Amino acid sequence: MITEFLQDALFAAIAAIGFAAISDPPRKAYLYCATIAAAGHSVRFLLMHADTAGMHIVTASALAALITGTMAVLLSTRAGMPAETFLFPALLPMIPGIYAYKTFGGLILCLMHADESSFPHYFYLFAHNGMTCLFILLGMTVGATVPIFLLKRISFRATRDAAHHE
Amino acid sequence: MTTTNPTTSETVTARAAARFISDYACRLLECGATCVRIEKNVNRIARTWHLTAAMTITPAHISLTVSDTGGSDTFTLITAVSHTSVSYDMNTSLSRLSWHIADNATDPARATAMLHEITNRPRPDKWKTLPLVALANASFCRLFGGDATAMATVFAATTAGYALKLILSEAGMDLRPTLILCAFVSSVLGATDGLFSLGSTPDIAIATSILYLVPGIPFLNGFSDMIAGHYTCSFSRLAGAAILTCCLSAGLCGGMLLMGAGMF
Repeated sequence: MITEFLQDALFAAIAAIGFAAISDPPRKAYLYCATIAAAGHSVRFLLMHADTAGMHIVTASALAALITGTMAVLLSTRAGMPAETFLFPALLPMIPGIYAYKTFGGLILCLMHADESSFPHYFYLFAHNGMTCLFILLGMTVGATVPIFLLKRISFRATRDAAHHE
Repeated sequence: MTTTNPTTSETVTARAAARFISDYACRLLECGATCVRIEKNVNRIARTWHLTAAMTITPAHISLTVSDTGGSDTFTLITAVSHTSVSYDMNTSLSRLSWHIADNATDPARATAMLHEITNRPRPDKWKTLPLVALANASFCRLFGGDATAMATVFAATTAGYALKLILSEAGMDLRPTLILCAFVSSVLGATDGLFSLGSTPDIAIATSILYLVPGIPFLNGFSDMIAGHYTCSFSRLAGAAILTCCLSAGLCGGMLLMGAGMF
């Protein structure tokens, strides 16, 4: 499991760096992005693994995002950037993309299979994937933004010149 | 009515302040900032000039009213927001600018010059991000349990799809048909894994081949705005993200139909 955990952290870091590049972050942000993405995604891996907590993906994503958000806020002053600069790209590896497009795929299949016997199955796929996607995103955003609001004195002063920090 | 800044003895008019603040807020929204950050930065700037600012933020416009503390003079401005790509580098620079204004009591004219200096910086070449994006999506494939063959297939599919996205964006095509075409191309290439019976996880290759197109930042910004109570902007951002996801799903469905692969 240790090998899987380390692999998960490594590939999450690589994924975060690559997707962060699309959002044109400052160069310094890449290192912070990779670090907190690796920490967050690997924590989610541990929480979901059957041998540890075996949590549902929604709960595990919310807790992992909380840890990622807290790390981002605490590092933001050192980095001299808003926490979102490397927090949001670091969350991208946890975005439920497959659930998102399967939701719309299920909706299209509902339309294509209007008969009473097969429609409920495709509607179940649409609803299950849609609700899972929605609640993962909501849990992640709540988890990631709670530290920003709780640690307001840090999170909204990170870009202030160091000479003026209290 | 003018307001005298006690530290610099310079006069800051509500009109001049409003022109700068609306320009500043629009640039911040364009580069992907959340509404709460825009509010914080704008209020910080307004307080520096002993003024108050009230905004309504929508994805297409920002409506701003600046008034002096006595309320005797107000100036309202509605500014259109352009659609540009997310830039956290600009977000960082604009946030630093707000603190620079607050700590140095910078006047609107100098602040405007600094704002233009930031916004006129050349953006990095998007083509340089292509290998990073392809590597990121291949890593995504691995995170979902894909083997080395699936990762290589996804790398190739992402390279082709993202290159097409850059070409179509430079040609000025609307993002929605662009995503349909890019998802179609990536899913067709992603399905070659299964077509030629390569590797042991062809289903993961096709499922992850289009994940680089998922609008993650708009989803996160939308929910973040919802938590902060900016429902208009939140629902607009979420609707835009949902439409883009629908487009890439349509492209994926088209690719899967062509290659005879199933989604479920």
